[in-house]
Amino acid sequence: MTHITIHRGAPKRSIAPVFWLLFGAGGMLSALFGPALIILTGIMLPRGWGLPASFFDYPHVLAFARHPLGKLLLLAVIALFLWHGAERIFLTLKDMRAGTLSVLRMLTYGVAAVLTLATIALLLAIGF
Amino acid sequence: MSERRPFHRPQPRDWWARPPYLAYTLRELSGVAVALYAAILLAGLVCLWRGPEAFGVYRRVLASDWSLLVHLGLLAGVLWHVVTWFQILPKTMPKLILRGQPVPPRQVTTIALLLALVCSTGLLVVVIAIGALS
Repeated sequence: MTHITIHRGAPKRSIAPVFWLLFGAGGMLSALFGPALIILTGIMLPRGWGLPASFFDYPHVLAFARHPLGKLLLLAVIALFLWHGAERIFLTLKDMRAGTLSVLRMLTYGVAAVLTLATIALLLAIGF
Repeated sequence: MSERRPFHRPQPRDWWARPPYLAYTLRELSGVAVALYAAILLAGLVCLWRGPEAFGVYRRVLASDWSLLVHLGLLAGVLWHVVTWFQILPKTMPKLILRGQPVPPRQVTTIALLLALVCSTGLLVVVIAIGALS
């Protein structure tokens, strides 16, 4: 009787689930709170509609960005929204055969990664 | 070189701009609105970090009519995202079974849309209340 041993390396792990998780988290956050966020920061705050005009002052916004909770909120919204958009744009451009996969990854995941790091750096530089 | 020569059905290059795929393309485009909004917030963070003068410029830009138009466009895009996101939710989540009965996909979408309405209005009400009380 002969024994045959098959040597298999560990199954190759895919990194794709990480991107899917970020995509899903950003998609859910923007679906639940996105409309209100855009109305608040894009329309009401800059125009002083329904909110005190002082809320959009430099000292107020700085105090918000210096608070740990404010930092967490800003990072969650900016980074997760970016990763959500990156995943959608990547898959669509891939389906359109707009370029090689490595180029498309650089343009989408790459940009999202750089901007996420920039957001973290800015939030730290703004101080506590 | 592989001997395999599988048949590829010819497909026009602009298939994504034609029905029925157009609906898919429009749904995916909502991701651009979501990412653009994040970029606008990030620009604000850059101005905040640079100081009061730069933040003043950011405030003036956001108070302009152009910014209002852009944000109304982004709002439309994100509302489209809200609707389509919860339309595909029954397909992306595990099958929901309540009291031995599978919950119909349409009902999942309706409940999730109501939840989104509560979340967004709730956030607006809370922030407006904080503004009124301060």
